Amino acid sequence: MDDRSFVAGQAFILAAKNYWTREIYPALEAGFRQRTADSGTSVEKPGQVEDLIGDTTLYRYYAWLERHLQRFKYSGRYGLQPYHDERRDELHQRLPADLPPGLLELNPDLETPGSFTAVDIHQHPGGVWSDPIAGFVYERGARSTTPLAGQTHRDLHQRLADHIAEGGTPECILDLGCGFGKSTRPFRETFRDAEIHGVDISAPCLEVAAMDAAETQARNLQYRQMNAAATDYPDARFDLVTSTMLVHEMPPAEIEAVLDETYRVLAPGGRMVYLDFLPADDAFHRFIHYGHARRNNEPYMEPLAGLDLPAILRGRGFVDIDIRPFEEADGTLDSAYPNWRFPWVVITAAKAV
Amino acid sequence: MSEPQAEQSFFEDEALDRAFGVVMALATEVYVLRDRTHALEKLLTDKGIIDAGALDVEPDAAALAERGADREAFVAHLMQNLLGIQMSRGAG
Repeated sequence: MDDRSFVAGQAFILAAKNYWTREIYPALEAGFRQRTADSGTSVEKPGQVEDLIGDTTLYRYYAWLERHLQRFKYSGRYGLQPYHDERRDELHQRLPADLPPGLLELNPDLETPGSFTAVDIHQHPGGVWSDPIAGFVYERGARSTTPLAGQTHRDLHQRLADHIAEGGTPECILDLGCGFGKSTRPFRETFRDAEIHGVDISAPCLEVAAMDAAETQARNLQYRQMNAAATDYPDARFDLVTSTMLVHEMPPAEIEAVLDETYRVLAPGGRMVYLDFLPADDAFHRFIHYGHARRNNEPYMEPLAGLDLPAILRGRGFVDIDIRPFEEADGTLDSAYPNWRFPWVVITAAKAV
Repeated sequence: MSEPQAEQSFFEDEALDRAFGVVMALATEVYVLRDRTHALEKLLTDKGIIDAGALDVEPDAAALAERGADREAFVAHLMQNLLGIQMSRGAG
């Protein structure tokens, strides 16, 4: 497939997703609020939302489009996977042969957790962990994950770095589940003197991260292939441990293991800051979020939402626990914001001094 | 994929799920074609091979009429399907 057709196909899919975001979702929510008002009953559970709108034509198309636009994006004729698959050799050439020493450390013997390999997360065929070109596919796809954002990754990840900066300047950062380095880059740019470590289980993603780091002559940066639940860092090594969109990819037992590891590697007084998704305490938003999880091959989003995170964090010895909505773009937390969005939250806690 | 799994269904009649997939695939193809035609016209215009202005002009009555039969056949092909009538002699 030629480049022009790929870009046109992806642009069409994105435009359709934008229409869904700005027109179909708002119409769906407005219709639901109206039905609730008309019925006079108080709707407290997602099941009740299903009863009210589940068999409406608008909801069926809303759901169909959510699943299938993503399928088209990844697996369709103009999809990310076939496009990159056709260019496999060329992509292989792009992977850096000579990296600065210490920048990238892979571990071919690392076992990928069954929880991660059982399902093709967010409908990426083959997942991000097995195919050598998966990092390129994921990176390209991530440019339009938040449909209304611009083409660069910078905005919401930069906002997280800014948020962290408000609480002080970290000197030694561990970015868990760093992927291809999308979340790590703003940390490098915002905390220029910090020592930064990014870990992930996906070698294909880490290779793309290292490529980007080498091209931008990063210093004080290491990308290493390991499981966030079992790193080889010594106790109290970091004053900041972060993750971005990591924990919703794990079942509760693994999340708890990652939190244990986070606590262990944090220095006293150090912070953990996780950016992820938790639906608002509203039946409609839970209904939408759990539906998204089912439709987008995200089996762990709903279990995460069911956890008592403050209790789990307290149980591990964390203090100053704070979980609050995160404004990923201007105006998205306004009560009148009409468009579909991920329910971003930032989870912060500290290790007692 | 180890073994194909049945796709999720959002409509009471799964046939509609699948038919709408055909519609969206076709829509994507239409857009890709449209984009390419536009690129082609621009390239040819930039090189002075065609006059884009001439292309955009409203066809005169003669030109419209000349395409009339083709247009009718196009529409018939599409809409004859709505009659739901057999085109050859069937058994029942």
